[in-house]
Amino acid sequence: MFRFQKEQEIVNIAGVKIGGQPGELATVLAGTIFYEGHSIVEDADAGIFDRKEAEALVNMQDSMSDETGNPSIVHIFANTFESMQKYIDFVTSVSDSPFIIDSPQPAVRMACAEYVTDIGLADKTIYNSINMSITDDEFASLANSDIDSSIILGFNAMDSSLDGRMALLENGGKLMDRGLLDIAEECGIKNILIDPSITPMGDGAGIALRMTMTAKAKWGYPVGSGIHNAPSSWSWLKAKKKEDPLVYKMCDIGTVSMQQLAGGDFVLYGPIENARYTFPLAAMADIMIAEASSDLDIEPSSSHPLNLLV
Amino acid sequence: MKGDCIAGNNDSCIAVITLASSFEPYEEAAMWGSCKTENLGAEKIIINTVSNSNIRYLLICGNESRGHLAGRTLIALHKNGIDEDGRIIGSDGAIPFIENISRDVIERFQNQVRLIEHIGLVDIDEIRRIVDEYKEKEGPYHEAAFVVESAKKKSRPVMDVTSGDIMVSGNVMLDSTSGIVCEVKSN
Repeated sequence: MFRFQKEQEIVNIAGVKIGGQPGELATVLAGTIFYEGHSIVEDADAGIFDRKEAEALVNMQDSMSDETGNPSIVHIFANTFESMQKYIDFVTSVSDSPFIIDSPQPAVRMACAEYVTDIGLADKTIYNSINMSITDDEFASLANSDIDSSIILGFNAMDSSLDGRMALLENGGKLMDRGLLDIAEECGIKNILIDPSITPMGDGAGIALRMTMTAKAKWGYPVGSGIHNAPSSWSWLKAKKKEDPLVYKMCDIGTVSMQQLAGGDFVLYGPIENARYTFPLAAMADIMIAEASSDLDIEPSSSHPLNLLV
Repeated sequence: MKGDCIAGNNDSCIAVITLASSFEPYEEAAMWGSCKTENLGAEKIIINTVSNSNIRYLLICGNESRGHLAGRTLIALHKNGIDEDGRIIGSDGAIPFIENISRDVIERFQNQVRLIEHIGLVDIDEIRRIVDEYKEKEGPYHEAAFVVESAKKKSRPVMDVTSGDIMVSGNVMLDSTSGIVCEVKSN
């Protein structure tokens, strides 16, 4: 493995530590609940869902986390504020894990920022995300909230190269008057999590792996991604899935260890149902990485899978 | 075919974009696929469309992808094109930019096809009916198929690095910017 010359930041979000040198901390894993098409959701707009099933899923992720030492985050997806509010109330009633709020609708994200501030849960909230589409309204909403943790998305629609993505974060590239990292700081974000952005395979998905290393080498912030999205639009694999669904599942979950081997600190691994497979895979990769880093003056944490499982 | 699209009847003059919905393809359509994003997804629809001169109509149906608004973005792109920065004029999608295809390809797309706007239509029987109505409605576009080559990505010259910022082992360093692993010579 390798060691970054730049000092690596470790952020602490509601007790979950993310970052550091490869092999130092266990990879943090975030499973998504209430995603588009999730079978436990009856009415996605109203936020009506099977509470028993949802609780079982969150409990399973928590149990896998306890067993392997890989900390967990609940990644909550919603299309409306009404549903997001219910999902947040539910998730925080059954788990102590921090949670990611994710919606494609800026209005929902803004309402959520206000909501978690009002109910005192901003310190457990990770905003997803500050990206190139941020408006003045969203900037103000985030700045006025108590949220201090956010994913910063490196998606550059005009230049998806490594340089383009890095420039977007550093100085706005050719798209913004300042970089997303500066914007995050102005919004009061102290816990910065960089996501290099996963584009489809064939559209530069692999660049995210290079950027994981480059961003950590340059800034030292924790880096991770939803890398399972890379094969999700891969037509060839979709055809294979029809022959044998396990082929797709294997590729989907296998992406997690790629992100880890590139030095990633956290992974949004997709459907929370996959926790039972993802955590053992990630724990295995963490153990291998820690062993490979043992002569680089890197000490695995006491709760690292290396110290719990072998 | 680029992206989540499959080819059907090559002589048909209608293609179907199902946005965020997924339906069993109808083979009478020239092309059938989803489009969930307002940037890369829209680019693939354009590339696939101009590569078949027989396609003269694009049925945009299915549920809109929320936030991304890929359907509304395709309509805006067809109507208004892009500005000098590559932003799709009039789109209210989250990140409506075209990066990988040139202005002349977009103009070809605008000239070659007419859009049949049915965002929100999920009735598969009605979608099939529209395909049947339009599949032989018009002859091929007067210019040959336009094959869009994938843009060659910028590549940096291979550098001769002598140090790096990521330590691989005692005297082996990785330079994260160039991606080159090198042995650091001691003096």
